[in-house]
Amino acid sequence: MVRHRADYLYVAPAVLVMVLVIAYPVWFTFYLSMFSTPPNLALEDKIFVGLDNYARILGADSVHEASLNTLVWTVASTALAFVLGFGAALALNRPFRGRGLLRGILLVPYVISAVAAAYVWRWLLHSDLGVLSALAMATGLRSQPFNFLDNTDTVLASLIMVNVWKEFPFVMIMMLAGLQTVPDQLLRAAQVDGAGPWQRFWHITVPHLGNVSLVTVLLLLAANFNGFTIPWVMTGGGPAGASEIWITQIYQLAFGRIRFGLASAYSVILFAVMMTMGYFYVRALVGRDRAS
Amino acid sequence: MAGYRIGRRELLAGAATAALLPGALAAQGNKTGVDASTWTPDYINKLAGTADYDTAAECAKVVPLDYKGRLTYWYWGVNQASTEIERKMEADFFAAFAKTYPNIELVKQNLDYNAMLDKLRTASIGKSAPMVARLPILWGSEFAAKGQLMAFGPTDVGYSEDEFWPGALKSVTWKGKRYGVPTNNETMAFIWNAAIFKEAGLDPDKAPASWDDVVAYSKQIKDKTGKNGYGMVARVNAGNTPFRFMPQLWAYGGGALDEAEASPTYTKIMLNSPGAKAALQASYDMYVRDKSVPVSALTNTQTENQDPFIAGQIAMMISHPSEYALMIERARKATGADKQVADNVVANMRYGLIPRGPARRAVVFGGSNAHVFNPNIVEGGMDLQAVKAFVAFMTGPEWSIKLAWNISNPGNVRGFRTKWMRERLDTIRFLDVSTSMLPNGIPFPVLPQSAEIMNIIVPNMLQNTLTRKMTPDQAAENAAKELRALINDL
Repeated sequence: MVRHRADYLYVAPAVLVMVLVIAYPVWFTFYLSMFSTPPNLALEDKIFVGLDNYARILGADSVHEASLNTLVWTVASTALAFVLGFGAALALNRPFRGRGLLRGILLVPYVISAVAAAYVWRWLLHSDLGVLSALAMATGLRSQPFNFLDNTDTVLASLIMVNVWKEFPFVMIMMLAGLQTVPDQLLRAAQVDGAGPWQRFWHITVPHLGNVSLVTVLLLLAANFNGFTIPWVMTGGGPAGASEIWITQIYQLAFGRIRFGLASAYSVILFAVMMTMGYFYVRALVGRDRAS
Repeated sequence: MAGYRIGRRELLAGAATAALLPGALAAQGNKTGVDASTWTPDYINKLAGTADYDTAAECAKVVPLDYKGRLTYWYWGVNQASTEIERKMEADFFAAFAKTYPNIELVKQNLDYNAMLDKLRTASIGKSAPMVARLPILWGSEFAAKGQLMAFGPTDVGYSEDEFWPGALKSVTWKGKRYGVPTNNETMAFIWNAAIFKEAGLDPDKAPASWDDVVAYSKQIKDKTGKNGYGMVARVNAGNTPFRFMPQLWAYGGGALDEAEASPTYTKIMLNSPGAKAALQASYDMYVRDKSVPVSALTNTQTENQDPFIAGQIAMMISHPSEYALMIERARKATGADKQVADNVVANMRYGLIPRGPARRAVVFGGSNAHVFNPNIVEGGMDLQAVKAFVAFMTGPEWSIKLAWNISNPGNVRGFRTKWMRERLDTIRFLDVSTSMLPNGIPFPVLPQSAEIMNIIVPNMLQNTLTRKMTPDQAAENAAKELRALINDL
């Protein structure tokens, strides 16, 4: 214990900062979630309503719609980014001429600012002036512009596509790192034993990538669940709420409608979901450590 | 519920205020020599250039010119879309203030219009507000209701209240007290491209007389030319949307509340009135039935309509008098074949009054006000003398007109008598047309939740209709329900 006292002292500043910038806001959000904060009252004049805000959030039709959108957005973005990123990692794991350059190019979406990317995509997909529509019309593929963002049926899919484009390089990096850990001798031995490429992939590569895949998927799920920038910049949750997800709805409640109490209750619910994901993430990490 | 009792009190206070301040422009006093009851392009022309004012001398009566102090100021100023003249006027303003009050240190922040409200709300909660902010007319009542503004009106900076439009004074009034000084007031006008009108077989020099005509013209233009007729804007959380849709809603006899009435009470919900439903139906007809407006109306702000307009792809829109100057600049920057198209559009631009509806001709009475924040939430403490000097300087006849050069009109009506008004009329084409809409101006409801009503509830209603998520009737009823819940929630 005495020997560890110095260790506690070393980590104390970091713990203090964490308490200030994480624990206090979390506590205050939870506290605020018990109050009504209408736009005509200063925050100090807030009215205690107990758990009413939670009941209102959980009972609101608009929240139910946003929940479905959030589920689709999170799961589809994660699944597609994972498949695309994994495929890119497999392709780039084998040596070929120009591999380094291609790796660099494929990393571009990941390193550019999300806000800048969202604005660029907004113009690419614009329903009247979009570059993609102009190209399609110039080449005779279409007679009318595409309507990606002003259509309630296609807007969410369009945002998911942009999000996947932005995220797949992250998966690619993670999986490339994972692929480096697959023992070469094992692959060669399997080849000598007559295993084909698919069998080597399925029985050797995939099992070795289990943990890194799990961690990657959990990180993606958490990031997408909180993914605010692309939907907000590109559509603001519209049209008619068709691309509204939890996080944009919380922002709108807090800063558009000045319902800090309701937004706090909503944030606490989001926090609970995120903590659950965090739990599984930590479990996956611990499991990987034990396995290694 | 405690919140409901508070809301009723505040709504009653708002109603009392409204009753005390009838919006009749004829009530404009004679001290300014301006008679708003005869407000026509001719009258505006005759008035211009008939008086001279000495800004420094007027300010010196309020705060000595050698006063030493410090001031923090947030505003929504020039941006990438601004014209050269706007940039010059803003730079000249700060230089002139520094010359007039050389010992006042001014710390200023130019904020993006769409981000400013959030930042100011956050800063106010965090007790980091500036001393002075110039805010769009819609926002002040929210801060006043929360006690975040200081009672401060024209008389605090040496000006008579007769020097300002009654509608503008209403927008800075909460519970009978003034919480700001109007800086500029504007009404937009209706713009069209005469060449597209001609191509579509319409009279190129005649604006649509009614909103029903707008719907019919828009369809005819689309059918005959393939171009978009009316530049609709229906984005949520964008100030452009209510500025373009509310005139239509009011013209058909609708409203959010009863803000279009002579003595509004702000307690009567009119989003589901027959007039509001008729206005929604007209928008539906243009967007869904006739497909005669840009598809991107749901995600566009007005800025995104400017490019298609200069490219000759949109025939009509509601806009500021500055649109003409903006189009000239865009045409100047165009190259090659685009240059000829742009020059043609500028040559064919026409301005007219915003169309009438069955109930009235209406336009949003817009503008901005200078507000002073409560010393308790001002970062670094308050310097009231510096505040008074700055607000007096900014809202006097000279700078209230120069800062509004081609985007608005002076909040201080003495500005209309200056030589600068003469210069504006001589150099800004169509300014007299947009200015003559002022008597048709209707201010947004003076309620703390006005921003939510106008930027969220009304655009949502429009989007629900245009995406066919709901019928116009359902969307209107849904919005009215939401508005009722909002009011009952207070």
